[in-house]
Amino acid sequence: MSSSKGTKLLSYIIVLLMLSLYLFPLFYLFNVSMKTQSEYLIDPVAIATGLRLENFMDAWEKGNFSQYMWNSILYTGASTLLTLVISVFAAFPLARGYVKFSTFFYVFFLISMYLPNPLIPQFALINSLGLYNTQLGFILLKTTGTGIAFLMFVGYIKSVSRELDEAAAMDGCGYSRYLFTILVPLMKPVLATGIILTAIGAWNDIIGPTIYLSDPAYQPVTKGLFSFYGQYMNNWPLLACGILIVTLPLVILYIFLQRFIVGGAMAGAVKS
Amino acid sequence: MYPFGKGAARLMPYLLLSIPVLLYLLLGFGPSMVTVLFSFTDASGVPGQSWNFVGFENYTTFFTSSDSGDRIASIGRSLYFAVAVVVIQNAVGLFMAILINKKLKGDVFYRAVFFLPVVLGVTVSGLIWQLIANPLGGPAQAMMNFFGTSSNFFGDYDIAFELIIFVQIWMYMGYSMTIFLAGLQSIPNDLYEAGYMDGASGWKAFKNITFPMIAPSFTVNMLLSIIGALQTFDIIYVLTGGKFNTTTLAFDVYATAFGSGTADYGLASAVAMIQFLFVFTVSMIALYYLRRREVEM
Repeated sequence: MSSSKGTKLLSYIIVLLMLSLYLFPLFYLFNVSMKTQSEYLIDPVAIATGLRLENFMDAWEKGNFSQYMWNSILYTGASTLLTLVISVFAAFPLARGYVKFSTFFYVFFLISMYLPNPLIPQFALINSLGLYNTQLGFILLKTTGTGIAFLMFVGYIKSVSRELDEAAAMDGCGYSRYLFTILVPLMKPVLATGIILTAIGAWNDIIGPTIYLSDPAYQPVTKGLFSFYGQYMNNWPLLACGILIVTLPLVILYIFLQRFIVGGAMAGAVKS
Repeated sequence: MYPFGKGAARLMPYLLLSIPVLLYLLLGFGPSMVTVLFSFTDASGVPGQSWNFVGFENYTTFFTSSDSGDRIASIGRSLYFAVAVVVIQNAVGLFMAILINKKLKGDVFYRAVFFLPVVLGVTVSGLIWQLIANPLGGPAQAMMNFFGTSSNFFGDYDIAFELIIFVQIWMYMGYSMTIFLAGLQSIPNDLYEAGYMDGASGWKAFKNITFPMIAPSFTVNMLLSIIGALQTFDIIYVLTGGKFNTTTLAFDVYATAFGSGTADYGLASAVAMIQFLFVFTVSMIALYYLRRREVEM
């Protein structure tokens, strides 16, 4: 091909520079987390003198992270599961045209991207239903059948042969049984990416908990970390530990699921 | 044709579809429409207080009240934010996608690293950059000192907003890049070989083969980043809390409704409507041109 050795070398150099822009912040974060407060104050940029894992214990306790982590797991797990189930409920009949006005409903869901910001009436509604500051209310808010999972599912189901529906129906399989015992297992790859992308969105939400959950006992880890930041603004070694505590589970998960996530983002964007 | 039985069995899809539809009506579409209604009232967050229709009063307040200078400035800032983010994020994303698509060793690793900030989320990414830009001796400050100057970074009226734009692009460049990569990988290699025969290489090949072939991923990227950029405000919330001249329309909606002691739902809804008109107009114009480009090829 036309790309000579010179351009290849240049490509590597550019990619390397870009990589450092992404990896340096993480290394620096780790470095700060391994310092004492006085070491940090004397020279924030210097290399840490040793491993100080006790900093993490300290941050874990002071930041009350065990509580926040559990909340995050609850919210992310419940809302992702619900979102996926109802996305399948919506995607299958719309992809197949099994209900009247399928196209209308599809577009109706699609325009959720453009509609006026629902934040304020949503808040008033949740408030008047007595769901403000409750775990149920927050899970409900994070559950939607119109998001990225829905769009990906519609695209994917269209690629599943229609004859399969007919064959199953011939053998006496009912609609909902078909959905859960035949279609859902077939959707594994797209389900995986749907789960991951929905979960990333739910886990990382910061505005939702800020508006809907004032009681620290109910807040997820993003809000917990942000309050921790407000409280220990000047103790960066402790804060760096807090950030890493929140970051580590995600990074580990990401290393394992990386192919799914990036592949899913591709499929989700280009297919639909 | 619907294969799963006749009569009552036909109702099953409707029954299951009604769950997402009701949820969307109740929590998504409905509240969106009520925003339109609220924008013409003096609704407030004060419990028990009744509300009245006030016509266009909220809209005139937006443009003429004593603090409307700040609000109007936030329109300009939203546009600035969107243009900067859309142009730079997509240009860098496309450039990196082309580089990585050259079968560099370790491409899976690069893709993973550039996508990482999306996974980490806005709170973690924001705080990491707060740490880097700590005015009291952080690495960014050390670099400034090297050039004989200094800055308050996210606490600096002159550059805080540009830094937010930088962090936003840093966060989502990998996302754009990933979508471009998907487009690039779908281009058959013989197209380039044929082009090469005809003397098309380098820039020419890019202009005549690559660019037209990735039109769909270009459209997706442009729309996603335009809508995203015009509606984003969590990054502002995390980095400056709207201080130091960093509010945008989207942030203004939030601050007017939920900020300290205001709770003016009517005005906030009017701001949301202005934001909506803004997003809608910009994305429709973009869609028109992008679709036309897709068709022409």
